[in-house]
Parts: sequence; structure tokens; C-alpha cells
Amino acid sequence: MSSATIKKDSGFGVAQLILLLSIAILVIFVAWPVLLILFNAFFVDGSFNSLDFYRVLTDPETFQALTNSLIIASMTTVGSTIVGTFFAWLVTRTDLPYKNFMKSLFLVPFMLPSFIGALAWKMLLSPHAGYINKAFMSLFGTTEPLFNIYTYYGISAVEVMYLFPFVFIQVCGALERMDPTLEESARISGAGLLTITRKITIPLVLPSIMSGALLIMLYSMAHFGTVAVLGIEQGIYNIPTLIYEKIHESAGSFESIRTGTVLATVLVVTAAIIIWGQQKILSRGHYQIIGGKSFRPMELKLRGLRWPLLLFCLAYIGFTIVLPTVVIFLVGGLNTYGLPFTWENLSLANYKYILTEYDVTKDAIFNSVSLGLAAAVITMFAGVMISYVIVKMKVRGKGILEFLGMLPFSVPGSVIALGVILAWSGKFGINLYNTVWIILVAYIARYMAFSLRANSAALEQVHDSLMEASRSCGATMWQSLKDIVIPLVKPGMISAFFLIFLPALRELTVSIMLYAPTTRTIGVAIYTLNEDGETVMSTALAGVALILIVIGQTLINHFTKKVSE
Amino acid sequence: MKKLGIVALAALTAASMIMVGCGGGGDKKADAPKEGGKKLIVYTSMKESLIKGIVEGYKKANPGVEVTYQSAGAGKLMAKIAAERQSGKILADVIWTSEVPDFYKMKQEGILENYKSPVFKETVNPFKDYDGSFHAARLGTLGIIVNTDKIKEMPTQWSDLLKPEYKNGFGVANPALSGTAYMSIALLEKQFGWKFFEDVKANGGRVGKGSGEVIDDTASGELVASLAVDYITNDKIKKGAHIAMNYPPELLVVPSPVAIFKGTPNLEPAKKFVDYLLGKEAQAMVAAQGTIPVREDVAIDPKFKLLAPKAALEKSIKIDYNEVINSKEAIVKKFSEIMQVKK
Repeated sequence: MSSATIKKDSGFGVAQLILLLSIAILVIFVAWPVLLILFNAFFVDGSFNSLDFYRVLTDPETFQALTNSLIIASMTTVGSTIVGTFFAWLVTRTDLPYKNFMKSLFLVPFMLPSFIGALAWKMLLSPHAGYINKAFMSLFGTTEPLFNIYTYYGISAVEVMYLFPFVFIQVCGALERMDPTLEESARISGAGLLTITRKITIPLVLPSIMSGALLIMLYSMAHFGTVAVLGIEQGIYNIPTLIYEKIHESAGSFESIRTGTVLATVLVVTAAIIIWGQQKILSRGHYQIIGGKSFRPMELKLRGLRWPLLLFCLAYIGFTIVLPTVVIFLVGGLNTYGLPFTWENLSLANYKYILTEYDVTKDAIFNSVSLGLAAAVITMFAGVMISYVIVKMKVRGKGILEFLGMLPFSVPGSVIALGVILAWSGKFGINLYNTVWIILVAYIARYMAFSLRANSAALEQVHDSLMEASRSCGATMWQSLKDIVIPLVKPGMISAFFLIFLPALRELTVSIMLYAPTTRTIGVAIYTLNEDGETVMSTALAGVALILIVIGQTLINHFTKKVSE
Repeated sequence: MKKLGIVALAALTAASMIMVGCGGGGDKKADAPKEGGKKLIVYTSMKESLIKGIVEGYKKANPGVEVTYQSAGAGKLMAKIAAERQSGKILADVIWTSEVPDFYKMKQEGILENYKSPVFKETVNPFKDYDGSFHAARLGTLGIIVNTDKIKEMPTQWSDLLKPEYKNGFGVANPALSGTAYMSIALLEKQFGWKFFEDVKANGGRVGKGSGEVIDDTASGELVASLAVDYITNDKIKKGAHIAMNYPPELLVVPSPVAIFKGTPNLEPAKKFVDYLLGKEAQAMVAAQGTIPVREDVAIDPKFKLLAPKAALEKSIKIDYNEVINSKEAIVKKFSEIMQVKK
């Protein structure tokens, strides 16, 4: 109690309260559901049973799903890393024309939910009916499709298209902040471009590449939508789609939920191994040479390649964003799926039906918007508090919090969904099943990592001396938090808000496991319509969702610009 | 500016809380229908095109009663009901799907209200052991649909599916998701044995998702043919899809039972719903959608190529439903082992 820290000297003050609250939030929302999963995977009716675990695990079906998860995630990660790093390098370190514009263009794929992308690519590249394949086959008179999207390659390619911005953003940031004097001195010392790239540039941006790649790996491994749309019919299952099918096959019996917990455990362990591996690689060297100061980095002259590369970038965006979006809107206008795009087959009838007559749409939009807002606000405040304890406070028991704070990063969405079913369906007194609240609880757990990351980054930039100065001038802990820390981390909080709100708006992986008839989210409504064979309706709704997302993003950009001024 | 931001955030928080609160509140209203009028909840696997008109007709006939319905695959609805039972309360008052064994199972478990509808005697009954637990409200038929751009000669026999023109192009919906798909697989297995599916697989047969999805895939040409439900197909044909349907002589008839859950607070409106559904007006809507009604006094448009109810039942493949109650998981498993090689 006598340590000279900013902590109050009373036994139980604001500091302890904050610490306890932070621990409580993480335990209730994240640790408890995960523990329940582990418990149910190994304990049957209260007694330890590893045989059952072994039985599920050695089932060829499970093993195959795990392998598929890993294959798809690896291919997606490698692909996204190459694509993301290449484009990041192009817009930061070369004299590509209009590169600022191009940089914002490369962030557009973020707006297109990958399962909507998958729906569009199914229509474009399904082997016998895809529009591109049909055109190709009739043009060259073959019966062999140009590209079959229902394959590992197809699934990974679609995921790459919509996930590469994770790497792109990280690498762009690192390349922009990198001190160019390092490269310059190497050049002066006589190193060639290759040597500089190999010995200086790559090691410097490697941590950013790796952290982007890790995000993609974890995301893709536990991702439901793309595999559900493109894989299931060809027998390509990954762990989340297998859990989904298991639960439906046996009408939601507890037995199937237990099988799910074993699968989820496998996913958690794999995620933990991947994170551990990444940290192992990164800890080999420290790369703190990236300075905060902004330099004008050296630009590579592309010369004759300038315009061709610009064209290539535009073609890439056109192919991965414009084309699928156009297909979604066109198919949404068809009278029924399978008709050619001619004027008499197209109308706005589906859109009218979706917007005015179909009750599920209203429910879904309302649910998604309110869930997104609530999750974002709650997680934003909880995140700033927890990060504050981890980054700034020196109290006993902080170690527990640091460990708990790591959890949200490594627990995949589908695992959280199963965990909240176990935790909140009445077995422990509170029953939220079949209500929106269970989805909210799951969203809070799922997006806590986003908020922790944004907020701790912001907090790390607030120097301790500011707080100390205010305390030594006689301000209370609460006063100094309110007047000093909160205003300084506000940008971090706001960015956490938006980092959560937009993904939550189009969430599918978690809500598909938790929805009840009246609590469909936008993602669930689109997916179930498609699964039930209302292809044109589901694409019309997807089109409406895209418009909503674009409006949301524009408002947000506008708003954040204002705030950051 | 700073203050403004904080105020805005606080307002946003409050607004979102209220919105979520309302959302939750809305659901609560649905499970507490005692106050302020009746709200009947119907879970059904019938598509919008069929259920919507019936619910509207019922509302007109019973002013003051509110009805909401949830349309989803039978597998999904049963999963939902199982979860609801675990949590102690079934949200739905009435269930109407095509997965007959589910109804036998629910009857065994004692969760269905026994109601002998006065309209029953006017209908054609496919269940020999009728006791009022559930009534057949439609006789769904499944047949082969083909994409008319790809297949010129309509198939007339199940064995036609083994011909080379169907190579890699015949699809069946996933029995884990679709009740009709599950029932028709059970029926075909009864008639022809698993050998039939092995042969279909050898000719490149595929498994799709829901019962409507295989039809859309056939219309688009991704599949050349599929096993499809009558009225969903007829709805898409009406909208101009390039598909046509035919029924082989070993007819697949899957009755769609309707039942009331025991303990529903809306017993009277639920009974009225069953009566209405079996009545002439609703059955005429059933027939108009291109599926077989349960009343002989309702005419079916000859363009649908459907038989009258009694004749259809006579020609259909017979099955003892009690037999298949507990074999669902086994049948689904065997079917996926044959048809769906998981990669």
C-alpha cells in the first residue's frame, strides 16, 4: 500500500473498483462462456470423459473440417498478405498516379461483406450457370467452365478479395511511418535495391504484415459465410459450418451442442497455437525503429509502368468490387433466378416487396442497427476502462486482467456463439436464448478485442506525467480521468466505436447460431433467404444492405473527420 | 466541441439502449399475449407464396385476432422448438410443416394439443391412426423438375435420372434442412432401396441446401434436374423460370400436418386456424398454388398435372410413419454417406 504510484492510499478506492469491474466484464462476457465450452467438451454429466472428446475428434468428418479450416485459412492468409502488401507498397512507396485516391479505393472491399461477395461470385462463376462461365463456354464452344468457384481455390480467392485490407491498412501505416534515413544510409553505403528491401524494408514492416496476416488467419479459420455459400454443396465444410449443420441435423439436441463444444475447443487451441507462433517469430528481434515522426518516404520511380500499374489497380477494383455489386443489384431485379438480363425480366418488384411487404426486412434492419449501436457503445466504454487498467494503472491483480485481456483476441466468433448458448440459456438462472440480448452479449464478447486494441493504442500515447501533474495539483482520480485522460483518448474511443459498429451491422458468423424467428439480423435474413431458395429475394435484400452499409460508412467518415478536427 | 462530442455520445448510448430495449420489449409482447388481444404465432415450412394468403384470409374471417408466422425449413424450426423447450416455453401456438415423423414424435412426447376439428370429416385423411393430435392440411407431392433449356425430353420414370443427360446434374435438397427432402428420401429408399441413391451418386448426383434452393439452381442451369416440391416449382414457373415438372408413377406424397401446441394461451384462435386451414377457402388457395389439397371438393387446375387427393394417396408410395420416427438421424447419415462425400 505504500508504493508511490498514482493509486489512492485507501484500501478500496476508484482504482480497485475499476479493476474489479474490468475483471468482472471480461470474466462474464468472455472467460465464462469459453470455460463452459472447455468444460462441456471434457465433462459429460459432471464426470471427466476424454473418450467422447476423442471420439468426436477422430471422426473423419471432424478431422476433415479442421483440415479444411486450416487449408482455406492458410491460402487466404498467404493470398491476402501478398495482395495487401503489394498494393500497400504501390500506394505508399512508388509514384503511382492518383495514389491517395487509390489508397482510399483499396479500403472499399472492407464495406462488402464477404458472404455477399460469395453470393455474387456464386452467380458469376458457378461451374454450369455462372454468368462468366456461361459466356466463356458459349464463346469458345466448350463444356468446361473457365473457373469453378466451388473449390478450395474459389473459396480462398473470394475471402482474399474482401479480407486483404486487414494487411493493406497495417502495412500502409508501417511504410508511411518508417524512417527513410535507414534506407538512405544503406543506399549511401552502397547497398542495392534488393539488399535494402531484404535487409531493411522487409524486417521493418514485417511485424505489421504479420499482425495483419494473423488477423486474417484467425478470421478466416472461424468464418462461416463464404464456406457456407460456396463450399457445403460440394462437401467442403469447415469447423463453423460443421457446427451449424450438426446443430440442425439433430434438431438442436444437447448432444449436438456438445459435439460443437469439442469442435470449438479444437478451434480455440489452433488459434492459440497460431498466436503463440506469431509472437515467437516476432520476439526474435525488436523493431522499434519506426519513428512517430512523419518523413517523406523515398519513392520508387515506376517510369513506363506507372499507367499500366494504375490500370491494373483499377481493373482489380472493378473485378472484385464493381462487378459483384452490379451482379447483386441486377439479380435482385430478376423476376426469378435463372432468367437472362433482359428488360422484360427485370423490375423493381423484388425491392418493393423486400422493403414494404416482407416483415423480416424491417425486423432485421432494426435488429442489426440497434445491436450494432448497443454493442459498439458498451464495448467502447468497457474497452477504454479495461485498457486503462492494463496500460496505465499499477494495482495488484493486474496480471489476471492482462491475461483475460488477451482472450478476446484469440476466441473465434463461432466459439463465442456456442459459449453464450451454454452460459445464457437458463442453466445458470438467466435465460436469454431466443432474444436479442443473447446476440448482444455475444457481440460484446466478439468485438471487445477491437475496442481493446484501439483504446490501448490511444492510451499508450498519453504520457503518465500528465496524470501525475493533475494528481499533484490536488485533482481526484475521477477528476483527472474525466478532464485529462478521456479527452485525450477520445479519438481512440471513437475509432473503436466505428470499428465495431460497421462489422456488427453485417455480422453473420455469430448471429446465424443465435437467431430466433424474430431476431434475425441482416446477415441472417440474407443467408436464410438464400438457403431457402429465394435467390432473387436474398440478393435484393443484399442490395438494400449494401446501400445501408455505404450510407453508414459515408456518415461515419464525415463524422470522424469533424471530430478529429 | 469536446462537450458536444460527449453529449452526442451519451445521447447515442441512451438512444441505442432504448432501441435495444424496444427490440426486447417487442419480443416480450410476442410471448405475453394475454394482455390486449390475441396474437397467434404459426411456425411453418410453407413458403411465403402459400402461407401469406392463408394467414390473410384467416385474419379476414376472424377479425381482431393477430397472426404472425415464421417461414423456415422444417429442420430449422424443429431445432428452434427444441431450444425453446429447453428454455421452458414454446413460442409457437401452431406448427405446420411437412416432416410427418416430427409430428408423431411430438405426439409421443405429449406436447401436442388434442383437437378433433369439426371440419375433419370433410377432408381426405392420409393418417390411419388419426386421433386429433394433428391434421393433414395439404398433400405435398414431389417430382422431377428439369431445366427446359438443357433437357428436351421430360423424364417419366425415376430410373430416367440414371441416363447420361443427367450426368453430374441431378440435385436433391439437404435432408438435414428440408423436411420434404427427408421424407422423399425415406419414401424412395422404401421403394427402391439405397441402391437407387448409389446409382444416382454414380451418375454424379449432388446434394443442395434447402428445398427451394435446388429449384433455383435448376432454373439457372447449375443443375439440369432436381427432386422438387410441387408448389415452390409452380410458383417459379409462373414467374417465368425455364423449368418443367413431371411426376413418376411411384408417387411421392408427403402430407403436411398442422398441430396445436399443448398449453398455448391462444387455444381458441389456434383451433379456428386449424378449422380455417382445412376449410374450402384455404384449401382452394392451396390448390391454386399447385399442390394437392385435402378436400375432394376443391378443383386443381389441370396444368399442374396433379391428381385429386384420394387418387394421389392410392398411387403414392406407402410408409409406416411410426417406423421412421426414430430413424431420421440414421437415414440422414446414410444418405450423406452415399451422396455427399465430405472433402
